[in-house]
Amino acid sequence: MVNRPNVVQVGTIVWLGSEVMFFAGIFAIYFTLRGAAPELWATESAKLTVPFSAVNTVILVLSSVTCQFGVFAAERLQARRTARWWNWSKWGAIEWFYLTFAMGAIFIIGQVLEYAMLTQEWLTINSSPYGTIFYFSTGLHGLHVTAGLVAFLFVIGRMYSVSRFTHREATSAIAISYYWHFVDVVWIGLFGVIYLLK
Amino acid sequence: MKTNTGMFWIVSAFFFASWVAYTLWTWLEYGYPEWVGAVGILLASALGAFIAFYLGRAHKAQGGELPEDRLDANIEDGDSEIGHYSPWSWWPMVLGASLAVTFLGIATGVWLVFIGVPLVVIALVGWVFEYYRGNFAR
Repeated sequence: MVNRPNVVQVGTIVWLGSEVMFFAGIFAIYFTLRGAAPELWATESAKLTVPFSAVNTVILVLSSVTCQFGVFAAERLQARRTARWWNWSKWGAIEWFYLTFAMGAIFIIGQVLEYAMLTQEWLTINSSPYGTIFYFSTGLHGLHVTAGLVAFLFVIGRMYSVSRFTHREATSAIAISYYWHFVDVVWIGLFGVIYLLK
Repeated sequence: MKTNTGMFWIVSAFFFASWVAYTLWTWLEYGYPEWVGAVGILLASALGAFIAFYLGRAHKAQGGELPEDRLDANIEDGDSEIGHYSPWSWWPMVLGASLAVTFLGIATGVWLVFIGVPLVVIALVGWVFEYYRGNFAR
């Protein structure tokens, strides 16, 4: 028996393809501004606290791992844990997605804190082209993460609202995981370009 | 599906080669690479690779060839469950209208956003749970 690829998942991938090109535009703006004003980069990028953001990055990357464990549970059609809560190997998709949600939320909180710290050092969205593209790129990524958090709540809500976990719930879980991994990879790209290359 | 995968790999390889040529050419011409095209073309290559990789994985996971990829298949072999499709729904329109209100508010007066955002939330919840409530609750 041949399994036809799930149309929802294929559609999600095609849409994420368009998201690749959306972020391509942002990366292009970043490199163009940097090429036009290298002296601005020398002074402004020194204000970034790389270790803080590196910790934040690690949290987001690990949230992709927990998300994938949630998908494995969803593929077993297991919504809830079958043992006490500390026995994480028996967790269902709901528990894993709650953990992923918490880690994603910590990432956003960290980003807000970072914005507050940078604003105190007079790096704002209208202070210079560097500030503009810094907040524009990381901010649009942050909005994507926030939208993903909302989507996680919807997927968890769907799992709660059915008495029997079926392939339809698993499909939603897999689609949100594609999105989450994608946003994670985009952040790795942004982190490398903004914080490591400076 | 093998052909589809191959075509997207070709797209990816073509854009990768274009990226190398474009970057070098503009570098020699101006003394620095032209970033908009360089980044755009490189990520167009990534776009092709992304879809090719996904189709390759999907092809492996489906365990055989789909009827439409076989010369000896009949029409009825392709008659399988495709997925869940809503016959009709008002929710996309509600979501579109409430987003319009929200963005109009961003463009003109912020007070409209405070009306628009709750409507967006109602539309999203309504759409996501449309087939989980009422007659469709299971």
